[in-house]
Amino acid sequence: MVEVLPRSRPGVEEGRKSDQEIEEARAREAEEETRGLSERAVDLARYFAGKIEVIPKVPVRSLKDFSYWYTPGIAEVSREIHRDPELSFELTGRWNTIAIVTDGSRVLGLGDIGPEAALPVMEGKALLFKYLGGVDAFPIPIRTKEPNDIIETAQRLEPALGGINLEDIASPKCFHILDELQRSLSIPVWHDDQLGTAAATVAGLLNALELTGRKIWQTGIVLLGAGAANLATARLLKALNCDMGALTVVDHKGILQSEREDIDELMLRNRWKYELALTTNEARTHGGLKEALQGADVLIAASTPKPGMIKPEWIQSMAPKPIVFALANPSPEIWPDVAKAAGAEIVATGRSDFPNQVNNSLIFPAVFRGVLDAHARGIPDLLALEAAQELARHAKVKGLTKDHLLPTMAEEGVFPEVAAAVGIKAVELGIARKKRTREEFLQLAQARMARPKELTQVLMKNGLLPPMPGQEVV
Amino acid sequence: MSETRAAGFIEEAAASQKEGSRRLVVRPARAEDVPALAGLLVRLKRLNEEFDPLLKVRTDAEPQAAKVLELGMKDPRMLILAGEGTGPDQGRVVGVARAALRDRIFYTPETEGVILDIYLLPAYRRKNMGEYMLAETVRLLKERGAGIVTAEFPAQNQIAVRFYAKRGFRPLNSIHAKIL
Repeated sequence: MVEVLPRSRPGVEEGRKSDQEIEEARAREAEEETRGLSERAVDLARYFAGKIEVIPKVPVRSLKDFSYWYTPGIAEVSREIHRDPELSFELTGRWNTIAIVTDGSRVLGLGDIGPEAALPVMEGKALLFKYLGGVDAFPIPIRTKEPNDIIETAQRLEPALGGINLEDIASPKCFHILDELQRSLSIPVWHDDQLGTAAATVAGLLNALELTGRKIWQTGIVLLGAGAANLATARLLKALNCDMGALTVVDHKGILQSEREDIDELMLRNRWKYELALTTNEARTHGGLKEALQGADVLIAASTPKPGMIKPEWIQSMAPKPIVFALANPSPEIWPDVAKAAGAEIVATGRSDFPNQVNNSLIFPAVFRGVLDAHARGIPDLLALEAAQELARHAKVKGLTKDHLLPTMAEEGVFPEVAAAVGIKAVELGIARKKRTREEFLQLAQARMARPKELTQVLMKNGLLPPMPGQEVV
Repeated sequence: MSETRAAGFIEEAAASQKEGSRRLVVRPARAEDVPALAGLLVRLKRLNEEFDPLLKVRTDAEPQAAKVLELGMKDPRMLILAGEGTGPDQGRVVGVARAALRDRIFYTPETEGVILDIYLLPAYRRKNMGEYMLAETVRLLKERGAGIVTAEFPAQNQIAVRFYAKRGFRPLNSIHAKIL
């Protein structure tokens, strides 16, 4: 998912072109928009050569102070931690330090571009972690594609870290890696492409269901795409008591069902998808998206989109007041105006220039702020759900409408609340090393999430951060 | 095999199932089962293909399977069983077992029952239905004189290795292959 998007929206093409042509033109336009940004991004990358840096968080009045910060004084700090390694969460910055680990095997829409090419993306993510969440995140692209090597590398990094964010690792190996690391480590491990996107989706969905008077256990949901995001969404939906038998998953081979030709291959290669094949689609609908959508209440599309892949008449065949989430970027699987014209009651996309942006940035900074402030030992799905539910609740503060399903990134006050909800949930679940009250979590999160913004402003103002060179394109 | 005997194979409420009431009825295969059974056999061979490139499935595997099944049903030394679904799958073939009786020339016991194929559709797995299918196959092989039972499957198929190991089977012969 792209966090920063152009403001302008592609215009509706006039004339007597076919739907397919119009769709393709809009997709091209969306790509054009990104192209202008891309050139500028390369220039800026060259100019700044990196997006984050390490700066001191202690005063250094003179070199004498290093007797505390370093030898000889520091030896006693080490001795204390040696006696009780848990003290590393108190006496060092471990509690606020995470690694962004990737093998570069599925970076954005670029595919398997390798660890070096993944680095600028991971730096950007680290900047988001810092700026939005106050989290010190280190980009760690690693040179291996082997799931077990990735697992081992992450395990060996644990002593330095308060948490790990897995990023842009291909599906299905990402599922095994996340499961194994969550099982074996005593720090939170999160895969944002799975859980961040899924939690934001679920938050939006909960409010969409409420607006259309539906209960999740009576709702027929269709998931288009069976990659990291949608498989995690399915997992969270299950935890929310969704009727899994009424859930239908559609991928590039059609409707997932337990007798599909490739089912045994899935059993061996993608057991997460295999499980879904066994537990979903109780009616055993065969066919493709068209068949899946008939009478369905909700469509959640998180796929590799092709222009025109969702036909308006298929939206028309859904239940009354259907909910459509078309989350692909930059071109959604169906454009909001097309979906609305076909009868969609509520539409959400991944783009910031349409209402209802389902954006993982609504989730991950707050989730990490919460678990890090709790010095949490892990990050079970219940915490992702808690974040989703808290986010959904806060959309109501400004008023829940069809065009305001979720808080926007501009509603900054929401995120410390989400962090506090996650923190207190970690305490309730007994996985918090540091037990705090909700009020304490909230105050910490407010301060820690505000500080990097303030810091950036100050550094910009006094010239320690150079001004942006050249002409803006957005 | 007589109808009364076949009725004896019907299993009443075997293992209690968490996910619904799907149960399996195991009975001797009938001529009309052949297309469905052939489809299942090919699924199994395709699964084998996943384990080893030397097990690449032929394009005419399905008619081949039908032929083998038809011949097998007439052969007193072969055993072909159909697993029939219940509930929404009432009367539908959802599983297959194929086994053969072979003479052991040098060893005792002298008659060996060889399990060649057991396959169940995914909805019937993990419910002890595979175990039931195996037990029925073994029972019938024993009834026909087998003193030892063996199972053939790809060496790389760890699922099968575990399935049989759990039920007391251990490696006996190895078949080693090399493409010419």
